Amino acid sequence: MIELNVEGYEVPEGLYYSKDWMWIKVEDGKVRIGITDYAQKQLNEVVFAELPNVGDEVVKGEPFGTVESVKSVSDLVAPVSGKVLEVNGEVSNTPGTLNEDPYNKGWILVVSPTNLQEDLKVLMTFEQAVEWHKELVKES
Amino acid sequence: MPRKIVIVGANAAGVDAAVAARKTDREAEITLLTKDSYYTYSRCGLPFVLSGHIQSFENLIVYPPNFFKVNKLNLHLETIVTGIDTKPRTVEALSKDGTSETFEYDKLVLATGAFPFRLPIEGIDKQGVYTLHTLNDGLKLAEAMKTARSAVVIGSGLVGLEATEAFVERGIKTTVVEMLPTVLPRLLDPDMSSDVQKKFEESGVTFILGKSANAILGDNKVRAVSVGGEEIPADIVLNAAGVRPNVELAQKAGIAIGETRGIKTNSRMQTSDENIYAAGDCAETTHLVTGKPALPLLGSAAVKMGKVAGTNAAGGDAFYPGTLFSWVSRVFHLDVGGVGVTEFWAKQISMDVVVGKITSKTRASYFPGGLPLKVKILVEKNTRRVVGGQIVGGEEVTQRINILSLAIQNRMTIDDLAKADTCYAPSVCEAWEPIVLAAEIAQRRL
Repeated sequence: MIELNVEGYEVPEGLYYSKDWMWIKVEDGKVRIGITDYAQKQLNEVVFAELPNVGDEVVKGEPFGTVESVKSVSDLVAPVSGKVLEVNGEVSNTPGTLNEDPYNKGWILVVSPTNLQEDLKVLMTFEQAVEWHKELVKES
Repeated sequence: MPRKIVIVGANAAGVDAAVAARKTDREAEITLLTKDSYYTYSRCGLPFVLSGHIQSFENLIVYPPNFFKVNKLNLHLETIVTGIDTKPRTVEALSKDGTSETFEYDKLVLATGAFPFRLPIEGIDKQGVYTLHTLNDGLKLAEAMKTARSAVVIGSGLVGLEATEAFVERGIKTTVVEMLPTVLPRLLDPDMSSDVQKKFEESGVTFILGKSANAILGDNKVRAVSVGGEEIPADIVLNAAGVRPNVELAQKAGIAIGETRGIKTNSRMQTSDENIYAAGDCAETTHLVTGKPALPLLGSAAVKMGKVAGTNAAGGDAFYPGTLFSWVSRVFHLDVGGVGVTEFWAKQISMDVVVGKITSKTRASYFPGGLPLKVKILVEKNTRRVVGGQIVGGEEVTQRINILSLAIQNRMTIDDLAKADTCYAPSVCEAWEPIVLAAEIAQRRL
């Protein structure tokens, strides 16, 4: 997997990205979800993560949890709709995992998507995400 | 309908209120209105840009645009709030382009801060007279410092002294004029402030104490400051005579102002209007030792008040116990700090106190590199309660002030403090903790 560094922010290839600073990875019809390196860097050290339970439904564009640092709090907005199959307990127990390794050990949910093909259409591809990150950096 | 929270002011107290409100209510519409043109920056950091310890004023911007985006906070820069109408619960504001706008609120937080006290002396408006309160003040002063050879600083509070150090580091010959007979007069007793004064004098600073600046001289531009008949040459003058709370807006809206001239608040940071909170330099609170109204004017108090105000404004339940005026600074490689009452304040309120004082070192006497550390503890005579502390030393002052703060806040007696189970290793401290030794001395004098 290529990990492109855009002005200090990791943007790995092979993932789709939402403008709510989430990434998804499609794995055998399931979707793994996490927050981007950019997001964790904006938050700084994450001290709390409120996550849903296995079996819950998440709806694209709606919050399914929150991540909180000392100075910030942000909704986790679902990039796709679906049913939660797995929740990463390590992130709940040790929220700092989101800062250490947002794309691997810091994954948040695995969901069984209900409308993946439609949802994917509005997510950014790797190339689009790289351009978007450049804009984000320019804005700040 | 989401709750509407409007916050006037977007510095220390305002932003901490906004974050606390967002953490309490994920749906609320949170709007910050500030007359500032910069994103939230640290005022306390301004002197350190002047000295060059911090590269640029931009480094002081602690809450950049993305922060507001991530936390879903609507920040309006260059927006001056002109009035509050408490009945329909609206705020009138004037934006940069001159258009007025009305913001509705369910809860309002006033974090309007303070403004530098304008000295009532002749020549105060002359070119070359500066204050150091905003980032723009800092930019102007930094520019003037490039060519200035001499400076007069009026006031020897923390801002005055921190700026003085910056002037000296930039090779500017500096005189500090203080109306009262000692430096840091509101924060330190003379036996402690003399160490600070000496440190400045060793670095070439001249002090004129116990005298007021009578006038600022010069045609259009500053040439000198007249102090007790003497003319002190100055290319720049820094007015560091302190700040006053910004309460005009609250006053006009009929909100109660306290005896310290700050906005009266209860322990939930609520003003006399239950839908309006106040926090930071504009807000009056309670002194934890004396129980009397107090105006901290400290960043440390501002963020704590802000957090409480924001939490409550968003429907949460938080309280601010009051202030102990805990403060710390570092000037010319000397750490200095204090907490609670000083002997001066104790006398003002007729509190009978006993002092325990000791000069020790920050490492074991035989371990190289230890620096002096002077600790002073004040104890109320009839209750034996610890009520104040001041520390001056080469290092390791900050956390000792915090220890004393905890002791005072938890109403410990000097006998409790003298039995503190402290740690020790020769490379980092003395076997006998100076606080414990000072406490023992105070005990024997009781």
